[in-house]
Amino acid sequence: MAEADTLVIGAGHNGLVAAVYLARAGHKVTVLEAADAAGGQLAACLPGWHLPAPALHPGGWLRPEIVRDLKLHQHGLPAGASLDARYTLLLPGGEHLSLSSRPGDAATLEAIRHLSSRDADRWPEFLAFMDAATRLLAAAQLTPMPRPERHEVMAQALPLASLLLKLRKLGRRDMFRVIRSLSMSARELMDEWFESEPLRAALGALAIHGVTLGPYSAGTGYTLIHHWLNRGGLAHAGPSGEAITGALVAALKAAGGELRVAAPVERILVERQQVKGVALCDGTVIDARRVLSSADPRHTLLGLVGAHELPTEFVWHTQSIRMRGSVAKVHLATDGSHGLPGGTLVVGPSLKYLEQAYDAAKYGEVSASPYLEVTTSGQVVSIHFQFAPYQLRSGDWETMRPVIEARAIESLAPYAPQLQASIQSVHSITPSDLAKHWSLTEGDLNHGQLILDQLMFMRPMPGWSDSRTPVQGLYLCGSGGHGGGGISGVPGRNAARVALKD
Amino acid sequence: MSDLYQLKRTPFHERTSALCLPQNWRRWAGHIAVGSYDLTLEREYWAIRNHAALIDVSPLMKYRIEGPDAMRLLDKLTPRNIAKLAIGQVYYTGWCDDEGKLLDDGTITRLAEQAYRLTSAEPSLRWLHMNAVGMDVRITEHTDQVAALSLQGPKSRQVLNRVCDSPVDGIRFFRMAENTIAGRAVTISRTGYTGDLGYEIWLDAADALPVWDALIAGGNDYGITPCGILAMDIARVEAGLFMLDVDYTAATHAWIEAQKSSPYEMGLGWAMALDKPGFFVGRSALEREAAEGPRWKMVGVEVDWESLEQAFGAVGLPPQIPSMTVRASLPAFRHGKQVGYASSSTWSPVLKKYIALVHLERPHYEAGTRIELEVTVQHQRCRASATVVNLPFYDPEWKRA
Ligand SMILES: Cc1cc2nc3c(=O)[nH]c(=O)nc-3n(C[C@H](O)[C@H](O)[C@H](O)COP(=O)(O)OP(=O)(O)OC[C@H]3O[C@@H](n4cnc5c(N)ncnc54)[C@H](O)[C@@H]3O)c2cc1C
Repeated sequence: MAEADTLVIGAGHNGLVAAVYLARAGHKVTVLEAADAAGGQLAACLPGWHLPAPALHPGGWLRPEIVRDLKLHQHGLPAGASLDARYTLLLPGGEHLSLSSRPGDAATLEAIRHLSSRDADRWPEFLAFMDAATRLLAAAQLTPMPRPERHEVMAQALPLASLLLKLRKLGRRDMFRVIRSLSMSARELMDEWFESEPLRAALGALAIHGVTLGPYSAGTGYTLIHHWLNRGGLAHAGPSGEAITGALVAALKAAGGELRVAAPVERILVERQQVKGVALCDGTVIDARRVLSSADPRHTLLGLVGAHELPTEFVWHTQSIRMRGSVAKVHLATDGSHGLPGGTLVVGPSLKYLEQAYDAAKYGEVSASPYLEVTTSGQVVSIHFQFAPYQLRSGDWETMRPVIEARAIESLAPYAPQLQASIQSVHSITPSDLAKHWSLTEGDLNHGQLILDQLMFMRPMPGWSDSRTPVQGLYLCGSGGHGGGGISGVPGRNAARVALKD
Repeated sequence: MSDLYQLKRTPFHERTSALCLPQNWRRWAGHIAVGSYDLTLEREYWAIRNHAALIDVSPLMKYRIEGPDAMRLLDKLTPRNIAKLAIGQVYYTGWCDDEGKLLDDGTITRLAEQAYRLTSAEPSLRWLHMNAVGMDVRITEHTDQVAALSLQGPKSRQVLNRVCDSPVDGIRFFRMAENTIAGRAVTISRTGYTGDLGYEIWLDAADALPVWDALIAGGNDYGITPCGILAMDIARVEAGLFMLDVDYTAATHAWIEAQKSSPYEMGLGWAMALDKPGFFVGRSALEREAAEGPRWKMVGVEVDWESLEQAFGAVGLPPQIPSMTVRASLPAFRHGKQVGYASSSTWSPVLKKYIALVHLERPHYEAGTRIELEVTVQHQRCRASATVVNLPFYDPEWKRA
């Protein structure tokens, strides 16, 4: 039997962020990761792949507050934001719409003007609006949310009041614009801004990225802002997953923390609603007075703790979290002559195309014409494939694997004539692989859908957005918490602050 | 109108309806149940206290819980230590929501190694399933499939010894055993809702009539008397036993916090196994309350007869005594200030006293405290003096013997 002061389950970026905060505050922290390497969804892990493995997720920005608090630049995190990274919608006939999120970028304005001069005139205002909206969302994610059923009015009101003040400072017009946009569908939002279909589709695609929703679904206005905030715009641009994980692990070690990989946790030990430690799958028991889990809430609470240790209504809420994975990844090893440009590429020429891709997921089917987001690193082409629902209406993911591989290539090939011939081997990650190798319930990347009734004070469950659980000393610090999915570090930071306060 | 919209009849209906001459029917958990078989309650009440009263309690909600995790489920659901419940033993318990407020109360009988029967007043299937997440357990409601009779009174043992294939002398208080009546399999538990010697008989609904007939025939020499639920309602107050929706409100039905009750308030502190291992619903709230002491407590109150005589005498009346248990809230005062309320009050024929179950706020609930209870005399509100006493009011030595 070993002993630790604080255990963190999962070495995804959120688990690591939480661990570094706690270690820097002087606690003895051990991070336990099931996989062979740290990184979670940022890790390059492709079972059975022979080339340098691309990460599941291309990378991203941790929030500047977190980078500063944890002094991550000193631990090797590359500096500098790049708004210039290109986000390119591929269009039939070799055309494309290439955008950057930098205000005043001449090439972007030119490309939009080519489609509609009215849209080009509105673009700068749209960028300003997104800037206001993302700043507000960033502040909201760092603000403790109220617990609706509690009556600690003052303690809850102060942080909220300061958030409302920020909202008010946007000015009357932007305040209402931002609030309205959250519950709108991406299509309705686009109706208010733009007329040219490629531009509407390019933005609509980002709005449905990683969620099981279509651009006509209510609440995709929110997801657009959420992704824009995490990416710092449209394109993937931040440091690589490897760089983020590397800096966090270095910071953890520097603060005296310990990382153990290949150490899957089997159970969280609880006695009378007080956490006691964990049991690993190999039988090792580690005592601890505090456990933070960055595994998703369903897996943590019903899998590792067990429903019998938890209050009835709470269990019901945990079961009710909508986990809806419908992303697959297809990696192509090529001879290098794939002919695809750099940056973030999108296949999804119209909002209708994107909505029809989503329609399939509603019925447990794989999209016949999927929405793809493609990045390249040297010879490797990485394809993010939507929609590939975890819950298939018929068949299983082993028989469907060749289907998504074929559909990914077929759907991309028309935009890249040399692609087919350049392919040497194909490797795919199905939602079922995500569940198995990344411990993601139902393959849900976000540890719970990013949808309005699962956000803010309702994330992960109504009344539990403060990272605490009914088990004293157990906190949730992964993407299932307030702050949500994506690369930001926010849920990890929020949980660490609460744990330090208790 | 389709049967769907009708109140249900119990498996004994053919017999009970033939006897229920005043047509005094009451609603009980979606069934019609006999209120009384006479225009007054005396004969049925005295059967409970002196002979043997036969009461149809089939409307009780009944659940069969079985499987490897049946014990774990009940241990999570209720504050009692179910691990200690032996095969053939019965526990009475209340159970709570996570705020430690009562949802319902009933009995748990361990029928076999991995099989239990739970009774409740409210439909509980959903709550049971919600608590069974992740457990290997089968929950079946068998309210309609299992008929139940309560045989209560000092002669009940003799009646059963005459009627059953094997004697029931060995069944201790809150234990049960298999038996046979009129060739039909029954289980008999030494339980009841009257505070007297008594048994409850559980049987297949299809066997209801022959078992009823055998009991009536065999019990004749001992004065067996079919008895409605209104006479039982007097006996249960004398026994200090409370009733859902009368003496407390289920937390799920309460509109405001103040309407909810904790098991400590209802005098169930003895059933709270706070030392048992593991989680159970309401644990931390109950631990907190155990440490702080309950704010409210339901106690027994005896009203001074002289005080009643005075109040009624002032308008030229002898004390008016209600003919059945009064289920209305009556304010209780101390030193002129309201300190609580009665939820059930009745004339106790056996004690010759006017008694009430009264909820009092700390510190007014200690035995011996003098309070006043509101009585209405000729349309005027008056106060009668009364004394807090320990429950139960009536506890004959043959109940447990
Ligand atoms: C292809 C792809 C594209 C994405 N695109 C976007 C995007 O554009 N925008 C966006 O916002 N988000 C996106 N995401 C989602 C984002 O990557 C995730 O939300 C984020 O990485 C989650 O980080 P985390 O630290 O909270 O959890 P994770 O990275 O999931 O880490 C959890 C860790 O816990 C470990 N673990 C689980 N159970 C146990 C156990 N029992 N014992 C020990 N360890 C355990 C896991 O192995 C894992 O390492 C994308 C994800 C993918 C895969």
